[in-house]
Amino acid sequence: MTAIVHADRLTKDFFTGFWRPRPYRALDALSFEIPPGGVFGLLGPNGAGKTTTLKLITDLLRPTSGRAEVLGRPAGDVDARRRLGFLPEHPTFYDHLTAEELLAYFGGLFGYTGEDRRRRVTRVLDLVGLDEARKRPIRQYSKGMVQRVGLAQALINDPELVILDEPMSGLDPLGRREVREIILALRDEGRTVLFSSHILSDAEMLCSRVGILSKGQLVASGSVNDLTASGGRGWEIVVGDLPAAAAERIGRRARRLTRIADGRYTVDLAPDVRPEPVIAELAAAGATLVSVTPLRTTLEDVFVARVGARPAAPKAPEPVGSAR
Amino acid sequence: MTGRLTAAVTLAGALAGLGLSAAVLHARDTRYPTPPATERLLYLRSGRVADRVMLSFDALAADVYWIRVIQHYGRDATSNRTTGRFELLEPLLDLTTTLDPHFRIAYRFGAVFLASPPGHQIGNGPGRPDEAIALLEKGLRNNPGDWIYPYDAGFINYFYTGNYAEAARWFERAAAMPGAPPWIAPIAAECRLGSGDRNGARHLLEYLETSEEDYIRKAAKRGLQQIEALDEIDQWQAAVERYFAARHVYPFGWQELAGRYPEDPAGVRYVYNQKTHTVSLDGKSPLMPLPDSLTHAVAKAVVK
Amino acid sequence: MTLRRIGIVAWHVFKESVRDRVLYAIGAFALLLVAASVVIGQITAGQDLKIIKDLGLATIELAGVLMTVFIGVGLVAREIERRSIYSLLAKPLPRWEFVVGKYIGLVLTILVNVAAMTAALYVMLAWVAWTSPENVRLSWDAPALDPRLLVAVVLIQGELALLTAVAVFFSTFSSSGLWSVVFTLGLFVAGLESDDLRHFSDIVNASPLVTHVVAGIGWIVPAFSAFSDRKNDFVHGIAVPRGYVLDTLTYGVTYAVVAVGAATALFSRREFK
Repeated sequence: MTAIVHADRLTKDFFTGFWRPRPYRALDALSFEIPPGGVFGLLGPNGAGKTTTLKLITDLLRPTSGRAEVLGRPAGDVDARRRLGFLPEHPTFYDHLTAEELLAYFGGLFGYTGEDRRRRVTRVLDLVGLDEARKRPIRQYSKGMVQRVGLAQALINDPELVILDEPMSGLDPLGRREVREIILALRDEGRTVLFSSHILSDAEMLCSRVGILSKGQLVASGSVNDLTASGGRGWEIVVGDLPAAAAERIGRRARRLTRIADGRYTVDLAPDVRPEPVIAELAAAGATLVSVTPLRTTLEDVFVARVGARPAAPKAPEPVGSAR
Repeated sequence: MTGRLTAAVTLAGALAGLGLSAAVLHARDTRYPTPPATERLLYLRSGRVADRVMLSFDALAADVYWIRVIQHYGRDATSNRTTGRFELLEPLLDLTTTLDPHFRIAYRFGAVFLASPPGHQIGNGPGRPDEAIALLEKGLRNNPGDWIYPYDAGFINYFYTGNYAEAARWFERAAAMPGAPPWIAPIAAECRLGSGDRNGARHLLEYLETSEEDYIRKAAKRGLQQIEALDEIDQWQAAVERYFAARHVYPFGWQELAGRYPEDPAGVRYVYNQKTHTVSLDGKSPLMPLPDSLTHAVAKAVVK
Repeated sequence: MTLRRIGIVAWHVFKESVRDRVLYAIGAFALLLVAASVVIGQITAGQDLKIIKDLGLATIELAGVLMTVFIGVGLVAREIERRSIYSLLAKPLPRWEFVVGKYIGLVLTILVNVAAMTAALYVMLAWVAWTSPENVRLSWDAPALDPRLLVAVVLIQGELALLTAVAVFFSTFSSSGLWSVVFTLGLFVAGLESDDLRHFSDIVNASPLVTHVVAGIGWIVPAFSAFSDRKNDFVHGIAVPRGYVLDTLTYGVTYAVVAVGAATALFSRREFK
């Protein structure tokens, strides 16, 4: 299957300074592919180049070298735009229009007219939960509502590819959960979702694949599972009512033993130690089991490891596992 | 296409488009040339209306109109048109000076523009000294203490209409105003003389003999001598006529007429012309030339 | 499809711009004319008609210029500043259609305003005709409700359409509203003087090089003066050849195409940081 998005050595230089412009390399030979279906997260700290990448894909910027392909066409191709939806960061729309009018405007640009258009507008407003406010002008909307309008206009054309730039920014927890649910719904409908974020917990919940950017370079990319699979990091067992003597004895087999309160301990087991016998021993000593948690590498761990390390020279990214 | 090529093509296209536009405009102007007469309708004829319309930008508007005055004069002075020449000059000047009543140059140069007679020697202007004087009168009304306006009015009469009596009156008026330079009065005197008013001239020159300025006194003295010479010439001319009336022949020379050779106040002998029987100053006399002969002797002597 | 999309963008511009401006334009215009006619009536005798026509045309033109410049320079620039353009350009709308649509939308807005003001002018003229005595009416060199005046309005509209093109041009690449206004107004003033620039040698005795440079500028600058140089003929009822009007409008269209084309070319290469 052809990739939905294909970036081939994308490089973007910006020139700063008026009299003697000097280039500032925002993206350095970025190459990645997004297969159809699923949610792809473009992650990285602020200023890493996420928005720049998305703008290169949507033809708001032109690459200094390299190229991007979207839906099998070069970035910016009109037919490709017909099949995608884009929500920019901090979206603004025409304040004097109502949500309904805005969607009708954009819908008209796709060629939708009459009853068909009305149906689509209603459907997409329902999806984002703005049905009640549809006839109010956008200037009266809260930030969350504006974000939802943004989502709506990105979806009006039933796109195969949905591109979202920091879709959760500025939303309260309720809003963020709603957006997460919409993204998952889109995935379930078979669409491909590409979104950028610096919030890793969201990415971990939603993404099947990620790409991590740092200072314009792709420092990691691949499926989340593969990236976080390197080493289970062991187990964490929390027990209560454990006598101190037993704790000391069993604790020697653990990587670390932490006393939380009287009788309550956290037992941190190394990856090569199975938790079952330890649990049995603890139970035999009279402890009550509070929780057993496998310690996996989180995306955050991967992130910090890759982003914290400063690459000395530009190099090709090292995908973990099978990234193709 | 590469970026550079696109840019070059775009630029070429834009230039071609501009060229095409210019061609269309040129074609229109060639097919429908604007007849000159209808080109120049002045909108605001009334200075007072203009004053109100311009709000606080009066002086600026006056400047704009002044530029139009110059353009208008220049264009018509150098063109061959015969109808409607300078038709806008007076109204434009009126507008300019109403919008800015202290616009000295507009009054002064405007008067010269208006008074310039047709003919390429001098200025090829409309030849309307009456309008010029009217403009200067307006200047004086709006600037009552400024001697330059009556002075210029005198000059217009002096140079363009030849009305010396009027010129003298204007110059005297100017001379009497505060701040007027002392050399105006002798010019007034010369004008009086030129208009035949010797008594008035003598009166003025006698007063000027008491001036503090040395050159004024000298000029006044010379002027008085010239008047004296004129008087004497008249008297000798009368004597010639009396001789003829009595003897029916004209005298042959001074000896016959007077028995001596009379001298002018500068000490040079008068000349008696046997053929025309007229008395005049010797050409080498320092009192030459006399004001009567329409030259500006006194003025030149003074200004030097 | 192209036409439809351009029409959609144009309609959107029209709706956004025309909302409140029409009312204000008519109101202010009518007020101005009423006040002016009162003043005029006191100062002139029988000249009212000419001056009202002149003042009316001048006001329509001036109001049109102000509207054009101040809305026009922000037309594209504001969308870029507000970043509402990001979501718009992700739609299947080619960039050139966007620019053309914006242009047509503004021309439409100006047209409606000009039409409204012209109607108000004609009402004023009708009132003058109705309240003037017979002998005064006989002295007019053109009737009060002269349809030829409409041709003058058409030329004004042509002039404004050309000015709109210039404003849109500056709007596409200049992000500073102030400079765009300055340049557009500057070109407008230069254009009003283009006739004198082209005949510079008539006015000033300068070296041939200077004369040629200035004349060249006069040919390149959009010749706004060309739309007004027979304005007075319309007021006085003097016949103006139809070919003259058509040629003038053709010039306007040609130049506007160049300006909008250049704007499109610039905008197509534009990047949005």
